[in-house]
Amino acid sequence: MKKNYYLFNPGRLSRKDNTLKFSPSPVDGQEVSPRYLPVEEVDSLYVYGALDANSSLYNFLGKHDVAVHFFDYYENYTGSFAPKKVLLSGKMLVAQTQLYLNDTKRLDLAQRCLDGAAHNMLKNLQYYDRRDKDMEPFITPMKALQEEIWHSKNIKSLMGVEGNIRKHYYDAFNLIINDHVMGIRTKQPPLNIVNSLISFGNMMCYSECLRSIMKTQLEPTISFLHEPGDRRYSLSLDLSEIFKPLLVDRVIFKMLNKRVLQERDFDLYMNRVVMKDAGKKKFVAAIEKRMTETIKHRQLQRSVSYKHLIKLECYKLQKHILGIQTYEPFKMWW
Amino acid sequence: MYVILVYDMGEKRVAKMLKLCRRYLNWIQNSVFEGEISEGRLKKLKFEADEIMEDKDSLIIFTSKVNHGLHKEVIGCERQTIDQFL
Repeated sequence: MKKNYYLFNPGRLSRKDNTLKFSPSPVDGQEVSPRYLPVEEVDSLYVYGALDANSSLYNFLGKHDVAVHFFDYYENYTGSFAPKKVLLSGKMLVAQTQLYLNDTKRLDLAQRCLDGAAHNMLKNLQYYDRRDKDMEPFITPMKALQEEIWHSKNIKSLMGVEGNIRKHYYDAFNLIINDHVMGIRTKQPPLNIVNSLISFGNMMCYSECLRSIMKTQLEPTISFLHEPGDRRYSLSLDLSEIFKPLLVDRVIFKMLNKRVLQERDFDLYMNRVVMKDAGKKKFVAAIEKRMTETIKHRQLQRSVSYKHLIKLECYKLQKHILGIQTYEPFKMWW
Repeated sequence: MYVILVYDMGEKRVAKMLKLCRRYLNWIQNSVFEGEISEGRLKKLKFEADEIMEDKDSLIIFTSKVNHGLHKEVIGCERQTIDQFL
């Protein structure tokens, strides 16, 4: 499987000998030896530091179907360089738009997505319930709300249900995570360590989903659960709902409870919390490891990685949109 | 699959081989590469290597279905790390 590479240190990325060469900026006046990346095995590049590059590099990346995602100093996603979309399909686009315009069909698909998300969130809580943390007060109302999903009459009320489920879910975080307090969910900017980790993790999940969608015929701007607004790829928001609990949240719990990430890994400012480079590296490594973990897929009867699971989810969406097979969201069964 | 590739080339072709292998695998030492590669791309690599090679040149590829179970120990200086963080 092709790999993602994460660029934290400043340097210059260039095309050399038909592959990629990363030359780090000199440290204390000392040249650092360059590193060559095998272009055939690169899936995407995540750029967190300062990167020098020229158009010939981007031409080259485009040819080799390598995406580059950029993030600013505060870890906000700022944009992507996406290779030319090769899997264009007018039929798919029309079908997707039609489904969006049909209120009953759209609501049905949105409900399915949310049902999957709620299921996976519950699974997370049940996991900790088995590990002597009393999750009952959160699980019961969440289960009730999960039932309510199917009674919602429109997208707006469905989003209301989603918000309520999430409120209970995030309340449970305070109990699951030992030494840190989450309080309320704050974003733009995140105000404490847990919130900053959630924001960072969600963003990673979001760009991974976007990358998977780009590899299929789906149109990333037309979504079903979220309103397809301007200036964002909202379909990857829909998709990431299902995967956030298992890819991001579980990693956060583990890293904080095992004290892999500690206060010293963060810059605590007055009104925002930002991860230091060392912290970022640890967290990204953990999520990356999680992505490559495999599970035995029940229908396919073979091992698939979490990363591949996201792509399979896109295929299921496609089938649903084209009316071949009804969409069943991915639900954790363990 | 996970592979370790080593080669021994005539002086004139050694640079060509280096450039080719860099496109597919991670360089770890002079004439030694390792990394994850798909079956198809390995085939491509072998084909392209064959184009470069002449008699008495040698290329050895160790393959393993999975990368765990393969222990790596570095004694002395590590010429190049191969992690995904730069």
